[in-house]
Amino acid sequence: MRWTRRRLGITLLGVMGIAIAAVPFLTDDRYLLKVLTFVGVNAIVVAGLALLFGYAGQISLGHAAFFGLGAYMSAYLTTTHQTPWLLAVLAGTGIAAAGGLLLALPSLRLKGHYLAMATLGFNEIMSVLFVELRGITGGNNGLSGIPFPSIGSFVIDTPAGIYLLVWGVAALAFLGAANLVRTRPGRAMRALHGSELGAVASGVDTTRLKVQVFALSAALAGLAGALYAHAVGFISPTQFSLEFSILLVAMVVVGGTGSLVGPFFAAVVLTLLQYVHALIPGLGNDVASVIQDWEVDISGMVMILTVIFLPGGFAALVRRKRIGVAVDGETV
Amino acid sequence: MRLLAVCDLSKRFGGLAAVDGVSFDVHEGTIKAVIGPNGAGKSTLFNLITGFDRPDVGSVDLLGCNIVGMNPHKVVRAGISRTFQNTQLFEELTALDNVLVGMHTQLRTGFLGGALRLPWTLTEERRARERASYLLRLVGVEQYVMTPAADIPHGMRRLLEIARALAAAPRLLLLDEPAAGLNNRETQSLARTLYRIRDEGVTIVVVEHDMGLVMEVSEEIVVLDRGRKIAEGPPLLIQKDAAVIEAYLGEEGEYV
Repeated sequence: MRWTRRRLGITLLGVMGIAIAAVPFLTDDRYLLKVLTFVGVNAIVVAGLALLFGYAGQISLGHAAFFGLGAYMSAYLTTTHQTPWLLAVLAGTGIAAAGGLLLALPSLRLKGHYLAMATLGFNEIMSVLFVELRGITGGNNGLSGIPFPSIGSFVIDTPAGIYLLVWGVAALAFLGAANLVRTRPGRAMRALHGSELGAVASGVDTTRLKVQVFALSAALAGLAGALYAHAVGFISPTQFSLEFSILLVAMVVVGGTGSLVGPFFAAVVLTLLQYVHALIPGLGNDVASVIQDWEVDISGMVMILTVIFLPGGFAALVRRKRIGVAVDGETV
Repeated sequence: MRLLAVCDLSKRFGGLAAVDGVSFDVHEGTIKAVIGPNGAGKSTLFNLITGFDRPDVGSVDLLGCNIVGMNPHKVVRAGISRTFQNTQLFEELTALDNVLVGMHTQLRTGFLGGALRLPWTLTEERRARERASYLLRLVGVEQYVMTPAADIPHGMRRLLEIARALAAAPRLLLLDEPAAGLNNRETQSLARTLYRIRDEGVTIVVVEHDMGLVMEVSEEIVVLDRGRKIAEGPPLLIQKDAAVIEAYLGEEGEYV
């Protein structure tokens, strides 16, 4: 019966992919497309954070900073140096990866709370730098007039085009991550999470592995940040605060550790929560404003409740049910 | 042939000499046991050989190369694998995945190859799975291939950890109390498994409290007491050794 369930999973993923790809052909609501583009952007960050936190067990409260690094780098290069978009995005991804590497080398000797504090400190330092390095970042005013994505003379300047671009990258990020966790490096990550002693005894260079995963997930955050900058055209320091870092971690915690599908859905839901007033037309103004005011608190509460009542997140809930039904088969 | 040479190895923790000037050789293709009362320094000795701890003085040679000071993951590459007194399995991973992690040093797929599912990655992956299944059969836990380690019964977990250690294709296998918590039948089957492993060309050093097992499987025994080696030799001589009897049972006891 294994292959039928496998086929069911692949079919569901296929249907989901088609549904996501079909959205811009079904609606031309610019706002809706923009919101769903942000969902895709956050999904890219979460793909990397799920690898780092959900699989390798290393926490980062600094991913908003890597996101910001990518966004500022790409925005700065395109606005002031007229760098081609693709090069600028690659540079944004690269600087985030380099930042991740530099932070990881000393910090990953730390564990648990100490690692959380180090990455949190990094986020705060970067937040200050985003404001103070006015020559590059535009200070509190931010950077505006960031050009649309373009390759040569081909410009992606419609909301639908940007939506498809971002979701295409998100799909590739999740595909790559899903492949990774099922092969040698991914297994080593899960091993590291399970028992560091056991991983070392299996010949895994755990320090090197942690640094690699950290840099990879920082790179994905930087890539998402760069795409975001060109999608909205305007960035400012408040978008890359610690609050956003915590929201990203909440997505992985609620979605479930050791899972990619769980964090993906959590990213969708927790991102949409911010725009609930616009997405549900019948919603009263008072309800919408309450949700908007309390959005961060709601995410926090959901995270706390998940940790208390559902350690392992929603993915663990689904997995437990599945194991109850079938004996064999892989859990992803 | 001399596979491992431990020479004058010492380690102090504060005022306590955990391992004190211990020397012995391990010959290829043999099973050697290290025994001694609790706190004799057996586990510390294993940690010193495998790089989990660094000795104050002394050397450990594997086929003539000094491995003291090497990081533990490099010691695995050099050819020494180990298990732990408290099993260190990856609880959420299946038995198969546990063994596949053990093959880490034998495989080459990196981040790029893994993420892109390159053709040779898939070939390597298929071969790895075949080898892992073989190792699970070798130690006798094949019925738990797809079971998460956390759900596998205690005795089988110890065998699984041995399979994981074997996955690194070691020349020397160090087992830290593999029979702890096993019943008689399981211990008997463990003995047969140890012979099978040795017949595959893997040399074994085992720390063990179960004297029945030690006397049955080992060709040579090293006895430690308070960090020092007090005797070394074949089982029959060790059983009659006055110093060993005293260490275990005090002066008037009779041993085995």
